[in-house]
Amino acid sequence: MSTVQRDTEPADSLGPTVSRMILGNQLHRYREAAGVSPDRAGYEIRASRSKISRMENGRVGFKERDVSDLLALYGIEDEETYAALIALARQANSPGWWSKYGDIMSDWFEEYLGLEAAASVLRTFELQFVHGLFQTEDYARAVTMLGNSAAPADEIDRRVSLRLKRQDLLTGPRPPQVWTVVDEGALRRPVGGRKVMRGQLNRLIEVTEMRHVTIQVVPFSRGGHAAAGGSFSVLRFGDADVPDVVYIEQLTSALYLDKREDVDHYLEVMNNLSTEALTPALTARFIAEIIKET
Amino acid sequence: MTEEHSTAGTAIDTSVPHSARIWNYWLGGKDNYAVDREAGDQFSAIYPGIVDIARADRAFLGRVIRYLAGEAGVRQFLDVGTGLPTADNTHQVAQRVAPQSRIVYVDNDPLVLAHARALLTSSEEGATSFVDADMGDAEKVLAEAAQWLDLTQPVALTFMGVLGHVIDYDQARSIVAGLLDGLPAGSYLSINDSVNTSEALEEALRVYEASGAVPYRTRTPEQFAGYFEGLELVEPGVVNVDDWRPDPGSPRGPEIPQLGGVGRKP
Repeated sequence: MSTVQRDTEPADSLGPTVSRMILGNQLHRYREAAGVSPDRAGYEIRASRSKISRMENGRVGFKERDVSDLLALYGIEDEETYAALIALARQANSPGWWSKYGDIMSDWFEEYLGLEAAASVLRTFELQFVHGLFQTEDYARAVTMLGNSAAPADEIDRRVSLRLKRQDLLTGPRPPQVWTVVDEGALRRPVGGRKVMRGQLNRLIEVTEMRHVTIQVVPFSRGGHAAAGGSFSVLRFGDADVPDVVYIEQLTSALYLDKREDVDHYLEVMNNLSTEALTPALTARFIAEIIKET
Repeated sequence: MTEEHSTAGTAIDTSVPHSARIWNYWLGGKDNYAVDREAGDQFSAIYPGIVDIARADRAFLGRVIRYLAGEAGVRQFLDVGTGLPTADNTHQVAQRVAPQSRIVYVDNDPLVLAHARALLTSSEEGATSFVDADMGDAEKVLAEAAQWLDLTQPVALTFMGVLGHVIDYDQARSIVAGLLDGLPAGSYLSINDSVNTSEALEEALRVYEASGAVPYRTRTPEQFAGYFEGLELVEPGVVNVDDWRPDPGSPRGPEIPQLGGVGRKP
């Protein structure tokens, strides 16, 4: 049961998203080991073959009764294993801190926050904006206004507060390692005006001092770079069985990729960006130069 | 950080398998591409023991660093041939024993350096730093290491599964000697590497080299022992990596052609 060892940690430490992924992964392995087809497993819990697939990929929540029925079908009788998996199913259904912002947040972004909170390493490439985890309140407000200019003031406030609340991750007890590659353009574009931008750039220099944060700039002088598309993130999870997830935000939805071929491709692009960008130490100096010019 | 270079280096060629990424694959890591997994599988089809070697090497590194930071009281480490980050990297093991330990990692691979700078972060009390240099360039390695380490105090110099990248044995010897020359008495040297006692491993390495990957050479057991000439060997001497101060009660892995040792500079 080495892969469910994290069930001994406090229930709120894992978060629903990764609990789902780990539980799904375990169910997949037990089903394969028992030689049970997805159709047969689906029949057992009065669901379709594709429901089984979504469950095993950690895309949906779990009913305890379904988990219990599946474990019986797969011949898992060990009490400890059974209890650990049921505990995971409970965690998988517990709401994250972000659930109270549900009314102003799309489902796909909610899902992303779950992944972000559970990641051990978060790698991002930012083309337009400073990453949400590093934004000052003024900058976050300016970005929020760009996308929701017609929204009432109190909604803007709540959106900004969601952005800032998300940053608690960085100062929490188990922060992920955040490794960001940012295009020079995102640092030059004076979102919210020059004063706001200067504050934002100073904040960036502060966060580079945090041990678990690494920022690397790709300067204009590098010419065209490896990310032909736009911004994206690669999330890594501590559990060896949980695959990396690529996250790409679009205007009205988001893409989550976890197939190995897709992840390989984005990981390669991210690696190329990281090797082409300035080193972390030179990046801090580079940002200091931009501040003088902003 | 000691970084005079503007970037970590040139673009990565992803069409050929990459040594650090293949090791990452054998160790069960996620930092590898299809081309690496194919090369890794091709290798282990000929020599399945390679996965045991990968694990045994990491375990050896862990025990050696624990000994050096613990019993031997070393607080400075020069780790040559860093590789991609994995679970227990040198600084993590050393700083668990002595949080103030200072570690300089040396590599010349842009992918390894980028990962190391971002992810091999030190404890609050200690330090990690990174040198972008060829291990043969002793002058540069020592000059940059000196910005972070006090080279008048003992340093532990480690080459974990990297000296086979140097084709010529005599050159490998002079690389080790060149770096050790710059360190004071009381410093330590630890090496592990493959020896030429397994025909299957030799065959797998030949096929690997033919794939366009950077070649790797095994040594004779006598050549391996030669790296420690002039040093006082720490008990139990030059032995199979699994037999170097094994953790009590831990099961011994399968037989592998992998030697390791620790020596002290008198």
